[in-house]
Amino acid sequence: MKKNYSINRILVYVFLVFTFIVSVFPFYWMVAGMTNSAVDVIKGKMTFGNQMLSNITTLFTTYNMVRILLNSLKVTGFTVLGILIVSSMAAYGFQIYSSPAREKVYGLIILFMMVPFIALMIPLFRLIVKMHLLNTHSGLVLTSIASVFIIFFLRQSFKAFPYEIIQAARVDGAGEFRIFFSIFIPSMKSSYAAAAIYSFMASWNAYLWPLIILQTDKQKTVTLMISSMSSAYFPEWGVIMTAIVIATLPIIIVFFGFQKYFVQGMLGSSLKQ
Amino acid sequence: MLKRKFIILVVVCLFLVVSSITYAESTEKSGEITIWSWDPNFNIPIMQEAAERYAKDNPKVTFEITELAKADVEQKLHINLASGVTAGLPDIVLIEDYNAQKYLQSYPGAFADLTDKIKFSDFANYKVGLMTLDGKVYGVPFDSGVSGLFYRTDYLEKAGYKSEDLNNITWDKFIEIGKKVKEKTGKAMIGFGLDDGGLMRIMMQSAGKWYFDDKGNVNLSNNDALKEAFKTYKAIVDSGIIKKTSGWSEWVAAFNNGDTASVVTGVWIIGSVKADKASSGKWKVATTPRLNIAGAVNASNLGGSSWYVLENSKNRDLAIDFLNQIYAGDIDFYQKILMDRGAVGTYLPAQSGAAYSKEDEFFSGQKVYTDFSGWIKAIPTINYGIYTYEADAAIFTVMPDVYSGKISIEDALEKAEEQLKDQINR
Repeated sequence: MKKNYSINRILVYVFLVFTFIVSVFPFYWMVAGMTNSAVDVIKGKMTFGNQMLSNITTLFTTYNMVRILLNSLKVTGFTVLGILIVSSMAAYGFQIYSSPAREKVYGLIILFMMVPFIALMIPLFRLIVKMHLLNTHSGLVLTSIASVFIIFFLRQSFKAFPYEIIQAARVDGAGEFRIFFSIFIPSMKSSYAAAAIYSFMASWNAYLWPLIILQTDKQKTVTLMISSMSSAYFPEWGVIMTAIVIATLPIIIVFFGFQKYFVQGMLGSSLKQ
Repeated sequence: MLKRKFIILVVVCLFLVVSSITYAESTEKSGEITIWSWDPNFNIPIMQEAAERYAKDNPKVTFEITELAKADVEQKLHINLASGVTAGLPDIVLIEDYNAQKYLQSYPGAFADLTDKIKFSDFANYKVGLMTLDGKVYGVPFDSGVSGLFYRTDYLEKAGYKSEDLNNITWDKFIEIGKKVKEKTGKAMIGFGLDDGGLMRIMMQSAGKWYFDDKGNVNLSNNDALKEAFKTYKAIVDSGIIKKTSGWSEWVAAFNNGDTASVVTGVWIIGSVKADKASSGKWKVATTPRLNIAGAVNASNLGGSSWYVLENSKNRDLAIDFLNQIYAGDIDFYQKILMDRGAVGTYLPAQSGAAYSKEDEFFSGQKVYTDFSGWIKAIPTINYGIYTYEADAAIFTVMPDVYSGKISIEDALEKAEEQLKDQINR
């Protein structure tokens, strides 16, 4: 019996090691590529080379990396902040306040999740042009702060919040905003963290919409830059890998920084009753 | 009296000088030209060079060059044109030659008619043809994808072949040479993906044919050039002289690693070939092999792109003037971009310049660009139609059965034609 158990155990670990290699290999290849020249990457060299410095220099002299990274950070930062305020208030409203039309409106909003973005693109583009927001970061942020997915996700986790606490606060004379900001948000921290990570990743990696409304190199975000680099008769793979490593770092930092909350938030509420 | 006359003369002269200065000032060109383009190692730096040259004579003109991926330029252009909003459009945009007619025909009136603005007789014929619609020319021809047979002299010598043996050959001869190379060196003669249409397009254009006829009708099942190209593809695969690759990187790696003895493609590959410095002096270029049918020539083309001006852009006339002055007039500019970027333009007067006749050590002293310039003039002019990539896709859904011999070439072409017609509703 005991022997059986350990064999299972070994098999499990073999499987885990295998999946680990499969999921980590692309990252290894990306970092190795960063240290090699374009020809070496093309030839399939897997080991580390000595071209890292030249790749970094080329990247920073050809592109205004600092500005592009700041653009991405700015757009992502404001989007995450906007989503957390606007979409969480919407989710809170749907969950806490009852009204006869509530579920119908909610259903309608959820339905929007099914509409592919491609179908919305041209009307949305015309709208942005009419609002004179073409080629601005505001045009990016404003269109993404009302996130249906985040409203849905937050409402699901808000369901675990005991309504009695809100009633008690009302009895004690707290206003609705005070209840939301001082009582509700602090106790739903992990849900907010999960929503923040999700929207950070979505906004940082956003590609199609920024591509359509940003027109000049000055406004460009990092995803657009990387995409443009590989479109060439002779792509500089080493430099491209360097740019990808730099673009991946913020996501890794945010993910590992909030990982604890992320798992908690995805599993459900952290509220202990 | 004389003094008075002198004073009058001076005053008149002064007046003339002053008025000419103010006149010059009032016609000085100014504005910002916006450009969408792709390729950070090719089109972008070339456009920057052109912009610098123009700005030297016209200091009040500035440039905003936006670097995007090729697919992204196309996507943005479609969205902007389809939404009918002109606010976001640039003055100049780069469009790939295969897609030119798609834009010209889908969005009539969107691009500026340049027929009388540019001297098109100075450009390669085939290039002007692909941007002409109803007798009007809409673009400024840019880089050529004139094709050649790049080969490793060391492998071919081992197999007993000299340079003369590779020039002006047919594909049948190419396969014969390939077998010998395989036998003597163990190396594959050529590498390409079994689902890659690049070579097929080279073969077809060398015979002056395309997936569509002159009127844009689908022309697959009765296309003798395409039939011959199918045969050649199959023969190359069956003879075992091919190294099968998948995707661009593997294809480039095949010749960079020395796994294949030759590559048949557009001149723009030179940068990638030369990137492997270890093989310097071991390469040469011969004419493109031709199909074994009447009318086929040893010259063809793969890819290439051209500049187009948007009709409703803010600085349309300035943009046209800029393209006319640099791309259709500055011979020195073409020497510079050839030396710096390996860009072969299609502006014929530039090809007598010094850079074009330089011997290249990498290619064993061959004057490769002189050769390519000669071949450019022989490329047959054809109408690419508007669905080249859709046709490519239809062709390569039937190719696996052709390779395996499951269906005959005639049936395969019929099947592909049916599929293509279904897809594009024609």
